[in-house]
Amino acid sequence: MKKLVSVILLFFLIFWVAGCGGSNEEAAQEQVTAGQAENILQKEWAEIEKLAQGTEIRMFMWGGDENINRYMDEWVAPQMKEKYGLTFTRVPMDAPEFMQKLLAEKKAGSQKGNMDILWINGENFKNAKTNDLLYQPFVETLPNYQQYVNQQSKNITTDFGVPVEDLEAPWGKVQFVFLYDSAKIPDPPKNFAELAVWVKANPGKFTYPEPADFTGNAFLRHLLYDAVAVDKLLSTGFDESFLEENARPMWDYLNSIKADLWRGGETYPQSLTQLDQLYSQGEVYITMGYNEGRAEPLIKQGVFPETTKSFVMEPGSIGNTHFLAIPYNTPNPAGAMVAINFLLSPEAQLEKLDPAVWGDNTVLDIQKLSEEQKNEFAKLDRGASVLPEEVLQKALVPEVGPEYVDWIKEKWMHEVIGAE
Amino acid sequence: MFVSPARPEQQEKPILTNGIKIFVLLFFCLPFAILLLQSFSAGWQWPRLLPGTFSWRAWQSLSREPRMIPAISITLLIGLAVSLINLILGIPAGKGLAHYRFRGKSLVEAVFLLPLLIPTLAVVMGIHIFMIRVGLTNTVWGVILVHVIPTLPYTIRIFRHAFENLGSKWEEQAATLGASQLTIYRTVWLPLLIPSIHSALMLSFVISLSQYALTAIIGGGNVVTLAMVYFPYFQSSNRSVLACFTVIFALLPLSFYLLMYSLYKLFIRGPGHYRGC
Repeated sequence: MKKLVSVILLFFLIFWVAGCGGSNEEAAQEQVTAGQAENILQKEWAEIEKLAQGTEIRMFMWGGDENINRYMDEWVAPQMKEKYGLTFTRVPMDAPEFMQKLLAEKKAGSQKGNMDILWINGENFKNAKTNDLLYQPFVETLPNYQQYVNQQSKNITTDFGVPVEDLEAPWGKVQFVFLYDSAKIPDPPKNFAELAVWVKANPGKFTYPEPADFTGNAFLRHLLYDAVAVDKLLSTGFDESFLEENARPMWDYLNSIKADLWRGGETYPQSLTQLDQLYSQGEVYITMGYNEGRAEPLIKQGVFPETTKSFVMEPGSIGNTHFLAIPYNTPNPAGAMVAINFLLSPEAQLEKLDPAVWGDNTVLDIQKLSEEQKNEFAKLDRGASVLPEEVLQKALVPEVGPEYVDWIKEKWMHEVIGAE
Repeated sequence: MFVSPARPEQQEKPILTNGIKIFVLLFFCLPFAILLLQSFSAGWQWPRLLPGTFSWRAWQSLSREPRMIPAISITLLIGLAVSLINLILGIPAGKGLAHYRFRGKSLVEAVFLLPLLIPTLAVVMGIHIFMIRVGLTNTVWGVILVHVIPTLPYTIRIFRHAFENLGSKWEEQAATLGASQLTIYRTVWLPLLIPSIHSALMLSFVISLSQYALTAIIGGGNVVTLAMVYFPYFQSSNRSVLACFTVIFALLPLSFYLLMYSLYKLFIRGPGHYRGC
């Protein structure tokens, strides 16, 4: 008994200590940085570049892809050194960790962190924005953004439906495609009805990641778009009763194919990685995911079969953009802006698009490039597994807000898992 | 006291039964062999028993990772420091809990156990804020300190049980013969505790090795351990690279074990029967 009481007391003690934040000093210090920030943003670009000369920047980003890592370490870092005298360090860390780190730094009133650039999008951006974790709106200042980016495009001005407001700069964009083994499927389905027919004819050869997974959720959003046109969804706004009424076909569809899914629909892959592994081992014939070019390196590495191709279906293919942000307590805002500006340059974007390097699509508006640059982009072969740009453009549909992600996650549990 | 520490030698030749051999083979050797095979494979499709093609590609791409060697060194360094701090704090704490009665002992016990009961991640937010204020974040020292949290409870328990089993008679005997506290620790307890020291070092090292979130948050990216480089690859579809990492990850505790073993051999020269198991 005594033991229990002491444990409980300690519990409170710890949380009390944890909860104590110095809110006064925080506010005071915040004003100081805000003042400094305006100074830098008002400077001429040439002057910002001069400030950045000889400094060091650290970019925090997910580090689980050897191609992306190599692009940053072996191409971007040396270029930055040469062009701007910037010492660029990539730090491998998952977004939830660096977001938690940043939040704690904010609470502790730290004004000088050790992060200069963050690679984020969607949910993380929304959190960062609502908690004031980001630097001043800096994107407008970047020359490459002004010159080459279509600033009217919805994919640039919003991030999962959240207005970007110049707090993060677009870096790349990806579209959702299905990947299939053309040796096993000669004629891929063109819409969800055909997919259902194919699944019935080939039991056990198709499945999707559960909607708690980023990709699995996107798959279901496509199905939602099939039930309710995306324009309708966007114009109505998130309205649960509207969805209850109109999204019925989506759940009926999922239940109708359930018995013929991999393992009879009794279990679903927990992540895209698992689905990819099933696909690479030939257990299922179709995998999926954001980034229309992602199969290329995997084919080269021998992870996916060489006969892997991709397809999109009606009602389209969802595209989204990933962004670069600067944390509020960066020790080197000038360096961060120069680095981000370089990452947005046509040459850096072209290199990134190369399937042998990364294969991530550019955020630049091709029309705004010079003739020579246009040619170089046109010349680049993205690989046999990547659909032609026209097909992708035609299929492109926007992302709806993050509320839908949660709604689908929850509803799926009731409608598909709970329906026996 | 049925385990007399003075004569472990007689029981020291355990017979490996066939059942145990098969068990070891099936659950330790086979998975590791598959892992090794996987790391050299390029495309391993489902119905095949063995990979279709072999290649060095995954190992090559790993050797090109510039963070590899620094990450392994810093991981070893942190693991070593964490294990040593564990010994320094764990042996006296274990002895205190085993041999003395004092007011508030149950409270002290509860405090020592707390990190096992409350997930460290739940309190790391508060610890983090504190560490930012005292300037320990983004440093190796901060990471070492925060790794002590999830390891120390185990170490204290190990030593507490060891001291309970050994009793206080050995100490009393040495004291009546005029040995000082230091001599007692050096010549009585240290040799008797070797098996426990061994387990405590190993356990703290392995736990420290596998900390991802704590290292990420407190080390803040300035301290890049092997776990920091390795764990993100779990989200990669290339299993060969993941397998390479796992092999290296598994080799670290092994080399630590060998290092410790040779250190004992060098520094602790007692009569043979002190070696323990």
